[in-house]
Amino acid sequence: MRNLEKRPRRVDDLGIRIVILALAALLLMALQLTGHLRPLQSAITLLTSPAQLSATGITENITNVIDYFAELRNLRQRNAELEQLNSSLLAEKLSLREVEHENELLREFFKFAKNRPGLELRGAQIIGLAIGDESTNFLRRIIVDLGQIHGVKVGMPVITDQGLVGRVSEVNDSISKVLLLTDATSAVNAVLQKSRLNGVVRGTASGDLLMDFIDQGVKFNVGEPVLTSGLGGRFPKGLPIGEVIEIRRRDIDFSQQAVVRPTVDFKRLELVAVVTNFNPVEEVPELLVINPQTSTITATNTISVTDPSLNTGQVTNTTVLTNVGPLDLAAPLTTPVESAP
Amino acid sequence: MNRNLFYYLMTPLLLVASLLQSTAATRLQVGGVKPDLVLLLVICGTLIYGSRAGIVWAFIGGLTLDIFSGGPMGGSSLALMVAVYVIGLGQRTLSRFNVLVPLGAAMLGTLLYGVTYVMILSWVESTAQFLALANAGNARYNLAFWPTLQFIILPALFYNTMLMLIVTPLLNRMPERPEAINA
Repeated sequence: MRNLEKRPRRVDDLGIRIVILALAALLLMALQLTGHLRPLQSAITLLTSPAQLSATGITENITNVIDYFAELRNLRQRNAELEQLNSSLLAEKLSLREVEHENELLREFFKFAKNRPGLELRGAQIIGLAIGDESTNFLRRIIVDLGQIHGVKVGMPVITDQGLVGRVSEVNDSISKVLLLTDATSAVNAVLQKSRLNGVVRGTASGDLLMDFIDQGVKFNVGEPVLTSGLGGRFPKGLPIGEVIEIRRRDIDFSQQAVVRPTVDFKRLELVAVVTNFNPVEEVPELLVINPQTSTITATNTISVTDPSLNTGQVTNTTVLTNVGPLDLAAPLTTPVESAP
Repeated sequence: MNRNLFYYLMTPLLLVASLLQSTAATRLQVGGVKPDLVLLLVICGTLIYGSRAGIVWAFIGGLTLDIFSGGPMGGSSLALMVAVYVIGLGQRTLSRFNVLVPLGAAMLGTLLYGVTYVMILSWVESTAQFLALANAGNARYNLAFWPTLQFIILPALFYNTMLMLIVTPLLNRMPERPEAINA
């Protein structure tokens, strides 16, 4: 059976609540608009403002913490970016330093070339430094990034602003090998600048330079500059080689020797120049080794004695010199020869 | 969370939410709008406990909002109450465990709250001007409706819906309302 009794309205009912609360809201609005709510509002504001300030402070702090972590992330990213930038700048700096250094060297080269107008210099960046090769450790060569396409030919002198480096011993299309002065197979006709004594500067196994075949009996001093003499036509005249640091003079020797300190620092070779307008008389590689066939030199010395008190006699001595190995013309008098009676 | 605990915590939470809305929410602005924390809290409460409780929280929440805002006292309450009432109508028939219900409630609630509030503001100003009331000079509430809808209400609708999406898992952990509280 349907309950026809009307349920009494209560405050709990939604409609009643809505009406009451809506009226309350409207009343508040009206009170505010008429200004009657101002004291209440002021009191509420007074009460709530500290909370609001605190909340603002807390929010600020929380925001700062969040910002900090966000910043931390950004900082990491920024740091990575800056590190990358730093690396590139460092590389650029090094590159610029290299350019500066190269510029300095070129300036020196320019000065060097200006003082020697007869030389046409072609600069080369050393692309490799070979000390020895597969077969021997005694060779001292460098590889330069100039080759046949640049007009480089075998035998061309190679120099720096400091002086003579050596000569081109092998040429490929784009690179060349340079036989250094210090190589034991190298020999250069040289002259002592002050005393004008000639000799041959050759490399030694130890890497020093030795000036040999200096006339005996003539004095020269330590510190005397050594230049190319131009004799033989292998090198232009007047290129600095080094300076005398020690004199080896023995009366029993055929000639004097001088230990020469090269003006070029061979351990720090960076930029060299090939003198391309100089045509050497001899091509180095081919001339370094003469005909490997055994050669024999026969000399006959006949002494005739005529003395009326004595019998007339004749003594004949024949000496045969046989070359048993390749003769290096670049290093005269160092090639072993065998004497056969 | 304990269901009863949440019920009794609602009023303090509304105060805190109002406080946060006048402080922290500014920092959470996206596209020029900040989240309606009080509205979302009231909607959640309504979805859990029904519109009868929700209406009260809407009133309280509105008042706390108006305390910290420059709007007319009671205006937010009325707007929230309208939103809660409509949401409450659906709450009786739809299960809040359907993810679309809280999202739809957030969208509808934001829209109703916004539109109602704009209308209330407009009405308050015109009434104040008409009656030449004491504070009529300060009652500059007349907002252009469409721009307000476009640049405030709709972005807020999107923002609140997104927040509700985040809150929904928590909301779903609440058990269905016991009849004791509803009674």
